[in-house]
Amino acid sequence: MKSTGNALEKIFYDDAIVRKFVLATMIWAGAAFIFGLLAALQLAYWPLNANLEWITFGRLRPLHTNAAIFAFAGNAIFAGIYHSTQRLLKTRMLSDTLSKIHFWGWQAIILAAAITLPLGYTQSKEYAELEWPIDIAIAVIWVVFAVNFFGAIAKRREKHMYVAVWFYIATIITVAVLHIVNSIEIPVSFLQSYPVYAGIQDAMVQWWYGHNAVAFFLTTPFLGLMYYYVPKAANRPVYSYRLSIIHFWALVFIYIWAGPHHLLYTSLPDWAQTLGMIFSLMLWAPSWGGMINGLLTLKGSWHLLRTEPLLKFFVAALTFYGMSTFEGPLLSIKSVSALGHYTDWIVGHVHSGALGWNGFLSFGMIYFLVPRLWKTELYSRKLLENHFWIGLTGVLFYYISMVVAGITQGMMWRAVNSEGNLVYPDFIETVVRIVPLYWVRALGGLLFIIGFLMMCYNIYKTIKMAPKDLPDTSVLVERTGFDENPKETHRKLEGLGLIFSILAFLAIAVGSVIEIYPTLSLHKYVNPNQVTDPYTALELAGRDVYLKEGCYVCHSQQIRPIVSEVLRYGPASTIEESMYDRPFQWGSKRTGPDLSRVGKKYPHLWHYSHMLDPRSVTPKSIMPNYPWLAEKNTDFLILRKKLSIMKMLGVPYQDDVVANADIYAQKQAQEIAADLEANGAPKGLEKKEIVALIAYLQALGQKGQKEQTK
Amino acid sequence: MKQEGLKFFTDTDLTACGLLIFFLFFIAVCFWIYRKGSQNLYHRMSQLPLIQGDDL
Repeated sequence: MKSTGNALEKIFYDDAIVRKFVLATMIWAGAAFIFGLLAALQLAYWPLNANLEWITFGRLRPLHTNAAIFAFAGNAIFAGIYHSTQRLLKTRMLSDTLSKIHFWGWQAIILAAAITLPLGYTQSKEYAELEWPIDIAIAVIWVVFAVNFFGAIAKRREKHMYVAVWFYIATIITVAVLHIVNSIEIPVSFLQSYPVYAGIQDAMVQWWYGHNAVAFFLTTPFLGLMYYYVPKAANRPVYSYRLSIIHFWALVFIYIWAGPHHLLYTSLPDWAQTLGMIFSLMLWAPSWGGMINGLLTLKGSWHLLRTEPLLKFFVAALTFYGMSTFEGPLLSIKSVSALGHYTDWIVGHVHSGALGWNGFLSFGMIYFLVPRLWKTELYSRKLLENHFWIGLTGVLFYYISMVVAGITQGMMWRAVNSEGNLVYPDFIETVVRIVPLYWVRALGGLLFIIGFLMMCYNIYKTIKMAPKDLPDTSVLVERTGFDENPKETHRKLEGLGLIFSILAFLAIAVGSVIEIYPTLSLHKYVNPNQVTDPYTALELAGRDVYLKEGCYVCHSQQIRPIVSEVLRYGPASTIEESMYDRPFQWGSKRTGPDLSRVGKKYPHLWHYSHMLDPRSVTPKSIMPNYPWLAEKNTDFLILRKKLSIMKMLGVPYQDDVVANADIYAQKQAQEIAADLEANGAPKGLEKKEIVALIAYLQALGQKGQKEQTK
Repeated sequence: MKQEGLKFFTDTDLTACGLLIFFLFFIAVCFWIYRKGSQNLYHRMSQLPLIQGDDL
């Protein structure tokens, strides 16, 4: 090892901020898991929606996903990054103030999400639901984090950046790009906005974001943590440092391209779908390379699993990483996607990654960190062991039940008899069949939470045993690696933080631009003979109710060109049909049927009855009741502003329609309310949100027909 | 001009060419990582998490 021969320096690491992030991780993990369990139980037993709008599944599910990703995983990432970066770079972070702003700012963002999502303030884009003021706050706090992190790199005492730091750099750069590009929106009011993208543009940008949120928020930072904490816990270096370099560059280059695998068989252009599928398949190699590298770090030391039981969490996490990164590309093959997409198989896949990979890696890291940060011993290794086995059983129950449910339902949806008819034409038949598996899933989630509660108790008792006063302890470090030949090629690549960061940015930028740019030229793909009419003012108001209630969580609006889908729902969806949809509502899950052609399929009264009590028209339905829609009034006045923004974004509204949007909307509402009343519904519904929603639902699939039949 | 260029995205020869470039880049990275005389450097790099001044 070369060194400059500098004298030893005494420095202090900021462990107080790491302790804060560790505690925040545990608090928000509890919230995310409880929300998840309640959502799982609601699917098994619909009365648990309790007729309360704030906890109805459509609002609870985004709360659960945001809490799991940004609150639990986010805080875990920050804890690990703040802890390991200081040590790998032999420096304190750039600024304690920035660290504190980052911590408290992030918690405030989570709190804002926890308040706004149950109230129905949402952009209705998966994992990007938060409204524009919170989006801005996220960008600001992320920049604070970046400045703090890159500042630490700039003043580091270890010239070489260990591979974990590479993964952190890629995370910080890419998440910033993803968040900013996907969040470009026009505010309508303080807590509502419309995205600048529409239809396939919005779908492409959203799933470029959505997929890479998984890649660069739930994978690359956790890989960085894995490359640090597995060697630390096992007290041996990573199996192959060379393999870790290949792992990093291959992931960074390939991951960014894979987003369109969420849109297979949709109206996204074929070239983009194929591109997404091929790059997803290519991910098999680096993902498994990384998993093998992590597991083989324990080569010759497997006995450590007996003496260091927390290693069990790391081994299980790596195994789940391998499983889910095998399954992900598998599901990206078009013929497999045809079966699995929109089913619970995807939910199972996601949770094998979230619970098994992110969850177990975070738990292992916390068990490693807490005794060290609080300068004490772990309270109970037996509780840790029990947590592991109960948690593992829970994840397996969850995963297996959802894969079985998904494949079962997928097979039922596609079953066509010899006469060319659907074997299960009633969608509800396919739901009822898998409800028992929803109970098994809830049991799996409950076991996972029981294990987590054991951890909470264990950590609480550990911290109680800690000394009251926890001053930052000093360490002696020296500057290393600065006297190496600067012309040496490897030094150029990762010894120079700025150049490395630019290269990492270019790696993700190439794929992003090539995929997204062509879809921004929407007009290239639109058939001039199939132009769609824009929504009326009332339909737009109803669409906003649809967004607010999170209907996209359970209903897609995208019919794939697959025989069984066309038989069940009607002709395959076209690009033109969603060309004015801001945000797009293609969805990713069908707990209920696709709605893209539900318009005019049923009378107004059917929708009215269905929204108030779904079981009155569809026995055994598991959909929640929405009684408040018949009580809340539609805001007609804001429609002028909404339409004017839509017009500004390119929707061809006449000036008169924009200027009198509220009047036109009220007129249409009166017509629908009169029809409802004539058929037995109560009087005076014309101002209620349910009428606007019915107008929207009746418009679905109707807008392009006039032109198509010409 | 941009539109003209973009329409070739559906050209299978061009996408195959892109795939080849990626693959060759990957092979080049592999060769570079195993270049002569790099073993000591990578050995030292792999030790970085284990050689800090504290036991954390």
